[in-house]
Amino acid sequence: MKLFLNKLGRIIVSDDIFDNKVYLRRLYKYFLSGLLVRLVFLPFFFQRDLLSTYQRAAETISTGNIGLDNLQFLTNMIHTSYLLVTKFIFPAVNDIFPVLLEKDTWISWLTFNNSYNVFTMLALFKALYLIFDIACVFLILRLAFDNEPENKLRVFKLWIFNPVLIYVVYIFARHDIIGVFITMVALLLAKKDRKYWSILVLAFAIALRFFPIMILPLFVFYLARTKKDYIIFSSMGVSAVLSVEFLSYFGFGKSVIIPLLNTQHFNYILSSNLELIIHDRIFIFVAVYVIIILSYFHVRKAGFEVLLNYSAIVYLAYVSLCYFHPQYFLWAIPFLVIIFARNRLIMYYHWIQFAMFLVILIYWGDLVTKFVLAPIDHKYFVYITGIIPLIERFYDSAKFVNIFRSIFTGVSLWMIYLIYKDSKNLMGD
Amino acid sequence: MLNRNFKINRVLAVALLVAIIVILTGCTGIFYVPGASYGYYIWEEDDSIFVEWSADRKETEFEGIISTDGEITSHTLKEWEQDEDVIKAGENIVSFSSTLDAEDYSDGFSFTLKDYSYLEFDLKMNDGYDLSRINLGGFLESPEEGTFRIEKDYFEQIETKPWYQRRPFSEFFYKLFSNKYFTFLYLFILGIIIIEILRVTVISRKKKKALWITLSYVLLVAVEVLIYFILKFLVS
Repeated sequence: MKLFLNKLGRIIVSDDIFDNKVYLRRLYKYFLSGLLVRLVFLPFFFQRDLLSTYQRAAETISTGNIGLDNLQFLTNMIHTSYLLVTKFIFPAVNDIFPVLLEKDTWISWLTFNNSYNVFTMLALFKALYLIFDIACVFLILRLAFDNEPENKLRVFKLWIFNPVLIYVVYIFARHDIIGVFITMVALLLAKKDRKYWSILVLAFAIALRFFPIMILPLFVFYLARTKKDYIIFSSMGVSAVLSVEFLSYFGFGKSVIIPLLNTQHFNYILSSNLELIIHDRIFIFVAVYVIIILSYFHVRKAGFEVLLNYSAIVYLAYVSLCYFHPQYFLWAIPFLVIIFARNRLIMYYHWIQFAMFLVILIYWGDLVTKFVLAPIDHKYFVYITGIIPLIERFYDSAKFVNIFRSIFTGVSLWMIYLIYKDSKNLMGD
Repeated sequence: MLNRNFKINRVLAVALLVAIIVILTGCTGIFYVPGASYGYYIWEEDDSIFVEWSADRKETEFEGIISTDGEITSHTLKEWEQDEDVIKAGENIVSFSSTLDAEDYSDGFSFTLKDYSYLEFDLKMNDGYDLSRINLGGFLESPEEGTFRIEKDYFEQIETKPWYQRRPFSEFFYKLFSNKYFTFLYLFILGIIIIEILRVTVISRKKKKALWITLSYVLLVAVEVLIYFILKFLVS
């Protein structure tokens, strides 16, 4: 038994930390503290999207129609399976089930917040994300700093106490952490040079949530050795999306890609643009993205840590230059925390980013500000004066937020420059 | 350097605490921001009853009738636009009609009474009732019905209401207590984590580790029992 536990411990925390009692104790202390912070937020806050996600899952269970949410097919399947399991284990889920099946989203939101077991339900709903988050924190130990336990511990600490992560997963309650976990598995496989598995897992992550597609070209450049590899890896990368498209089209008669291209979310990528003349226009993010990818192409053999740096650059460029929702920021975090462990200066800029991010939240109005507190007392927090009318009373709220948005962009672009410099240093080493 | 950081942290913590208290309790007395807050605000101050309304700079009509079994002895208008807003005050009844918009953030009036035992309100916004936007007293109580009565000493009574019987605390404690199994399991898990943190930090340096850990768990159970009785008292 002891031998088994020893082996398990080594698998979870890596050999270099497991063999040193001081490091192991520090890791345990960080883990417990991080878990405590997460549990404090777990049952009390959420943003309405969490309820919508579980409403779709409940409807899938109720109707048996697995193609209900074909745009997020795999995400819906994960939530449906989880809800089905919890339904059998916890009677509280059955109590709330009629609320989840309510068609009027406003009524279901009010009833959900008003129910006596709202805290239980939120804890159960978000427990799924906690599992993936914990899986991520142990996975990230293996992504960088081999034989550098001190730095590994630093990465662990930076992940476990990352304010963006805690906000997005436990206060805002979004499911992106599942996609982040799958992407991290793909990264680990890439690091271990399991080329095909890595691309296949990344393709799965893309099918789950489209964000990892942004780093697919980096993966292809990093892993490909021959021209044939480029073709195979690129095809594999988009294969999962095409599989979901075929499954959706032939199984449920609905396309995934066409509606997705027409959603406002896709337009976010094109949101910053430079008008030239007549119909001529440059989409800034697209242009910047191409520069990043081409820049990486020239240093693709520089090592795994440079791949991580460039992935951070891609996601930072996205949140710097495009309209984004709070959860999109989460995609940069796994890459950033590894960089922070090497370069503390960049971490301080991340704190400025987070401070600005808190102001930018005002963009999305009551839903992400006072309504997040609604489980505590929905009547009080729905009718309390919102932050937008308060600002609007004295100054144009959009201008106010955009000042902070601009600082956020400025800081993020500066971070990109510092990460680029860090990559140069890594290549020099 | 460490001392300075500690001081800054302390100042920040105190500022945050004050901000939270102000937001949650609405400061002392009534708290609303004309042009941002939305609804009626009614309170008593220096033997006058204040009835004010505010909208978030969108055109909104406010109209209502306030009647009593006593006598209205005087009334004072606040930010009243004579051309657009109407008020009629009788011996025991006041009716009003007013429109707020992008330039007009709030209106209101106050009045004094004598020999009365109740006040009856019938307050509308945009020709309808929106009871959650009628806020009585400093802690923003809302009436249950469109036409509602308050007794003479109503505001004194709600003034004496302890904080835990006021929103949002009352609702929060009610939910915690009505879902006991979850609450106590949740607190127990938090307690275990805290004890574990203490075990690997403070207790590991002590001689009688087992004793300290046993004591910690006994304390945790005692705290749970105590919280049960505190919650029971708070929601009673």
